[in-house]
Amino acid sequence: MRFLILRFLFFIGLATLGVSLFRVQVIKGPYYRSLGEKNRIRLIPLEAPRGRVFDRNGRLMATNRPSYDIVATPEDVTPEVFGYLSNILNLSEQEIRNRMSARREYPFAPAVIEEDVGRTLAFHIEERRPELQGVRIRISSLRHYPYAETASHIIGFIGKISPAEYDKYDGQRDRYGLQSWIGRAGIERIYDMRLRGWRGGRQLEVNAKGELMSVLSERKAEVGEDLSLSIDLEFQTRMMELLKDKHASLMVLDLESEEFVALASTPSFNPNVFVTPGQGKERMEFLRDKNAPLIDRGVSSAYPPGSVFKLVTAIAGLEKGTITPDSHFNCPGYFQLKPGGRKYHCWYKSGHGSLNLYEAIERSCNVYFYNLAKRVTADDIARYARELGLGEALQVEMTNIAPGLVPDSAWKKNKYNEKWYQGETLSFGIGQTYLLTSPIQILRLTATIAKGGKFVEPTLLHNHPEKARSKERVAIREENLKVIRRAMLNVVQSDYGTGQLARVDFEKMAAKTGTAQVPPKTAHSWITGFFPYAKPEIAFVVFVEHGGSGGVVAAGIAKEMLDIWRAMYVPTVG
Amino acid sequence: MFQRWAKGIHWPLVYSIIGLSVMGVLFTYSASYHDPSQYELKQVLWAGGGLIFLFVIPFLSYRSFLSVSLLLYVVFMVLLVWVLFAGDIRLGAQRWIRVGSLVLQPSEFAKLATVLALAHFLGSVNPWEQNNRSLLLAIALVLLPCFLIMKQPDLGTALLFLPMAVVVLFLWGIRYRYIIFAFIAGLISIPLAWQTLEGYQKKRILVFLNPSLDPLGAGYTALQSRIAVGAGGFWGKGFLHGTQSQLKFVPEHHTDFIFCVIGEEWGFLGALLVLLLYGILFRSIFQVISHTTDIKAKLLAAGIAAILFAQVFINIGMSIGLMPITGLTLPLISYGGSSFLATSIALGLILSIHKERSIF
Repeated sequence: MRFLILRFLFFIGLATLGVSLFRVQVIKGPYYRSLGEKNRIRLIPLEAPRGRVFDRNGRLMATNRPSYDIVATPEDVTPEVFGYLSNILNLSEQEIRNRMSARREYPFAPAVIEEDVGRTLAFHIEERRPELQGVRIRISSLRHYPYAETASHIIGFIGKISPAEYDKYDGQRDRYGLQSWIGRAGIERIYDMRLRGWRGGRQLEVNAKGELMSVLSERKAEVGEDLSLSIDLEFQTRMMELLKDKHASLMVLDLESEEFVALASTPSFNPNVFVTPGQGKERMEFLRDKNAPLIDRGVSSAYPPGSVFKLVTAIAGLEKGTITPDSHFNCPGYFQLKPGGRKYHCWYKSGHGSLNLYEAIERSCNVYFYNLAKRVTADDIARYARELGLGEALQVEMTNIAPGLVPDSAWKKNKYNEKWYQGETLSFGIGQTYLLTSPIQILRLTATIAKGGKFVEPTLLHNHPEKARSKERVAIREENLKVIRRAMLNVVQSDYGTGQLARVDFEKMAAKTGTAQVPPKTAHSWITGFFPYAKPEIAFVVFVEHGGSGGVVAAGIAKEMLDIWRAMYVPTVG
Repeated sequence: MFQRWAKGIHWPLVYSIIGLSVMGVLFTYSASYHDPSQYELKQVLWAGGGLIFLFVIPFLSYRSFLSVSLLLYVVFMVLLVWVLFAGDIRLGAQRWIRVGSLVLQPSEFAKLATVLALAHFLGSVNPWEQNNRSLLLAIALVLLPCFLIMKQPDLGTALLFLPMAVVVLFLWGIRYRYIIFAFIAGLISIPLAWQTLEGYQKKRILVFLNPSLDPLGAGYTALQSRIAVGAGGFWGKGFLHGTQSQLKFVPEHHTDFIFCVIGEEWGFLGALLVLLLYGILFRSIFQVISHTTDIKAKLLAAGIAAILFAQVFINIGMSIGLMPITGLTLPLISYGGSSFLATSIALGLILSIHKERSIF
């Protein structure tokens, strides 16, 4: 019985195919034959405009502008077209032929002859259309970054799809075409799928001359999603001015929302040259520039942190119970592991005398931290460094995130097949040796200290509901972080503090400076901190590559940054 | 001696196989004679190799295949996992394994291994004693390769496992209430599953079901292949005289869309010839099923028939807009070594069942 049902269904299926074939081939055959003859069906892809990107106050960071392109359907053009186009575009006829025979997505799809030609030329060609068979003007949209260099590392840029990528996305023709753009760096790359719209297309029936007879079907292109970033472009602009002519990075994080307000890095580049046709030369200049303007110094490179790292060594000592805030060590200006051994110098040659932890951080005394480092191991310090997020790439909406490096004995064994020396632990304790951190990692470390140990996950998206914030804490006792905060306050507010140049007159600030030695070049200049001390609202980091003393150069910039911040965000009383 | 051998062969089945293979070689040539790669010569070699299997397998007996079916099943599952990690990526999907200069598509053979394993397993369970455990095991047996192939991603081939499983379970004697239950459960779970999908995944499925939503991809192919088949009319444009399929309006015209070439060049008559040959093929398989008393053989043959039928129906259906566009080959006709070999092995098993039928 079941067998009979099955056999019946199979033959019904074959009969259905037969009847459908009869309908398509015999009944509607003449219609399809007329469509097929002279290839009267053409497909015109409609490219989707990319979504726009705004700053936190709705200023446009990335948008689209119209571009007039000269396109031609090679199957329709007549020979005189080549000479004409060659004349007005100042290109050789051969070049025009090459562009016509470039790979196309569909038969009869138009080939691009020249993009972004300007209105005058576009209108001129449009007027002469009857003579120029097969040639027309297409209006497409080109990316535009109104703030150019100001936030180029954040927004990134897009680039034309490569043939290999086009083939890879076979089956996703509604998203990627042969002339599509793809995000190459920054937000444009991270959120490419959201910013990218859905392509549409029009199936046209044309007559033998290629003239439109009817539209068989059409799907409109869908614009990509808009995004809002947490950056305040006005503040960002001012920060970029502060860093002008330096190789530097400055970042400000809102502690309540964990959103970045500014993420400045200099030198920077103009992302518009990557999206404007015919600017290949300018593009190469940026790529070849010895100052590496494409690199975000705050995110994509890592440097020795110098004395900023003393905060981590102090936390390791406090957590391990090796010291209390009142433990004293004497600084005679140098330190020896054993009598008559190598002298490790303090930056203050005449010596700080006897200091407790608060004073040691305040004055950034090397000898105090040599003493402390000697009493803990390099592996202990490394553990707390990692607990605070150093040594691994930070999760943030940026590209090329530097992981940095936190060394320990196992790492050295693995890399150099050598044991870890105690002298290296001393240097490690003051943020030298193999240790590398990016400014954004240091900022997160400071933010975590300021928020009492809540693990901070900084973001570039503004008011984003999807971003579920974890309640996770670092494994460091709140009371110890309180000691660190208190010491950081002294760095700025005490008259012996190394960061007093950053002091502002309207609120108390807490910070830590760093001057990382990179002989034979000038030292890197660091400062990181939070503000106001009593109820922290922002955390910041300033880094100047080969800038010199952290307490002078970076601290000076931090003070100017805070003055601008106050002028922009603190309501004046009365 | 020869007469005894000849008596054991189901000749109508063999004739239809040869007829379809000849059509395949002819139209592979027509679809690609502009191409320098000489697909038709390769296809002749594949067809020759396939026909050897067709006659060798009856000597090995389908029973020996059934007895090692679980081992075969495990081997091909491992290959399917392996292809996900180490396979060649072509046209954006990871489906191929390279063996020397040969490129094989394990999913083609995994289909066969799964039918063998399923028939072997269900054939040893009496349908009167069916319980949830044996049913669940049978379903798991089918869903594992289905899932792995979907991962490649090859939605079309993965979905072939469903009609196969339904037909085999049905013929085995699954209770009607299970069928009704599965049908209702499926209907209920669709909206739930839909909820969990991302926006772009929903869009993909909608495009799959209705290609005109994607005029640049599937929609374009759907229209162009329908034009090609329709333009053939009743008599066709003549061998090598097709224009739509030749001009690359239709992609993959020597593999997935070869029916467009047949429809355009030989018209409705050619299409009917193809249907007739498949009709003979399926009629022969049903004869074989009704003549054997071995339940495992019945299930095996029915599973093979179901897979082949689904491929024929979907492939021809998609070229005339009856079915969504998927990357399925037309058995014995489409260019492709793995597909042809797997089909001939399957049909060799059918011949073997016929040879070992009990005579009464």
